[in-house]
Amino acid sequence: MMKKKLFDENVTILENKKVNGKYYKLTFRSEPLSAKVCPGKFLQIRINDGQDPYLRRPFSYYRVTGTRVEILYEVLGRGTRSLSQKKKGDGLRIMGPLGNGFTAALGKKKRVLVAGGVGVPPLVYLAEKNPTDYLLIGTKSRLEVLPKAELKKVKAKILYSTEDGSCGSKGLVTALLEKIMTAEDPRELFIQTCGPKRMMQAVIALARKYGIDGEASWDESMACGVGACLGCMVKTKEGLKRACADGPVFRFEDLDV
Amino acid sequence: MKIDLTTTIKGRKFKNPVTVASGTFGTTDEYAGYVAPKNLGAIITKTITVKPRPGNPMPRICETNAGMLNAIGLQNKGLDDFLKNKIPYFKKFGVPLIVSIAGETVEEFSALAGTFHGLKDVVTALEVNLSCPNVEAGGVNGMKKQERILDAVKAVRDQTDMLVFAKISPELGDVLEIAGKVLGQGMDGISLINTLRGMAIDLRSRSSRLAKDFGGLSGPAIKPVALRYVYQVKKAYQVPVIASGGISNASDALEFLIAGADLLAVGTANFVEPQATLRILDGIQSFMKKEKISKLDSLRGSYRPAEERGEGCHR
Repeated sequence: MMKKKLFDENVTILENKKVNGKYYKLTFRSEPLSAKVCPGKFLQIRINDGQDPYLRRPFSYYRVTGTRVEILYEVLGRGTRSLSQKKKGDGLRIMGPLGNGFTAALGKKKRVLVAGGVGVPPLVYLAEKNPTDYLLIGTKSRLEVLPKAELKKVKAKILYSTEDGSCGSKGLVTALLEKIMTAEDPRELFIQTCGPKRMMQAVIALARKYGIDGEASWDESMACGVGACLGCMVKTKEGLKRACADGPVFRFEDLDV
Repeated sequence: MKIDLTTTIKGRKFKNPVTVASGTFGTTDEYAGYVAPKNLGAIITKTITVKPRPGNPMPRICETNAGMLNAIGLQNKGLDDFLKNKIPYFKKFGVPLIVSIAGETVEEFSALAGTFHGLKDVVTALEVNLSCPNVEAGGVNGMKKQERILDAVKAVRDQTDMLVFAKISPELGDVLEIAGKVLGQGMDGISLINTLRGMAIDLRSRSSRLAKDFGGLSGPAIKPVALRYVYQVKKAYQVPVIASGGISNASDALEFLIAGADLLAVGTANFVEPQATLRILDGIQSFMKKEKISKLDSLRGSYRPAEERGEGCHR
């Protein structure tokens, strides 16, 4: 009995360009890597042949249009720095789609998305694909705010908070979230969040306070991306689970973080 | 030309020498979508302990130059779960199964060996993990004294006449000396090396990049060390050897074969290239065709020491 076929594909870069002070956008085409994708799933990219970097790097899907796949990433270390130097026509080896994505159908509930840092791309994708009421984006400053063109397909109300107050409201994104929780009927809300751990912990704490259900995409350093190495374990009420294979999206009520 | 990769260890046949290092191929079907298990020469399981182990806190892994550090801590669901949920899975494939075991006490080693002795229809061999660097009680620290290692292998040997390999690491002391002693206790072969203990510091926090201070270094970075020990142990004792330590591609694998390795356990490379094992198998065959070698056994152990090379030799 074979498990479902998993893909590891050679792709050619169509585009790899800087979109603002923080993000680069990588585009390629691939039939297998664009099929059965939903927001929250991810890819494992072998950035260079050889050994620098050695391990693959996980990236969430940003946008899939037909067979065209886009990834939005920040330069955070040696792997992403090397990726940012790739040119149109260069090759990459990519595994995917991996992991479990966000819940798409929420019934009558209002979707509230809370994004920060590397969590912005999958939640913008989620907001493009599904009816969404609010998309809250927290960044350090306006330099990291995505260009308007990247958000034109999002119909949700987009609210920004920046730590320095240079765009939207000054402070943390959780302050924006709490305003919505008090303005709306909490029973009608469903939160989906992705970003730095401290932000997600604060979001989950607020959700618990107001009795709101939701999902978080929880991320730990990963090696294999398929559930084999047990490097990326997440504490849940049912014990340790693998972020890559059992997640990365978990229900708030299941997380013990 | 027909290429024969058959590898025979004490009368047991493996259809090829390529296997997976303990803990790098998931617990059951994680890689089944990439590699059909029947294509491998054998499967070495993640280490099984008597009781379930939750493992270490996160972060457990970090990348280093040409490799990674890990401090997983032998996370596994324990012997009962393995018997109930994993053995039936492996039974289906008919691939030689080598079960990696570790105990915190001699009694646990004994219990594990006794249990698997009763499963000889599914389990081909045992690999006694004497060298996990991340476990206080059962690993390097607790087992550091050679007497405890020898007690453990003796306890295993007393329970079973199965093929048993002792997995040792330079962390335990002098590899050649320890290998000699565990062989003296009746081990059939040696598996080496395990990860080497290492460290990585985050500059901002001035603390470890792992939750623990140290982790086990694996990947291409440790290959030359592993190769040297495989060669030395093979030369000194002529016993079966399972080689692991940075085997990432066919040329790595061929080096280990020339040094004398019987089985080649691909480890961290599985995380990077899920089909690394299959590519290595292909590469070994291509090399043999090119070199007109039809039997793997004529390549295995064909290393020519520096002093025997002579002058005018191009190889």
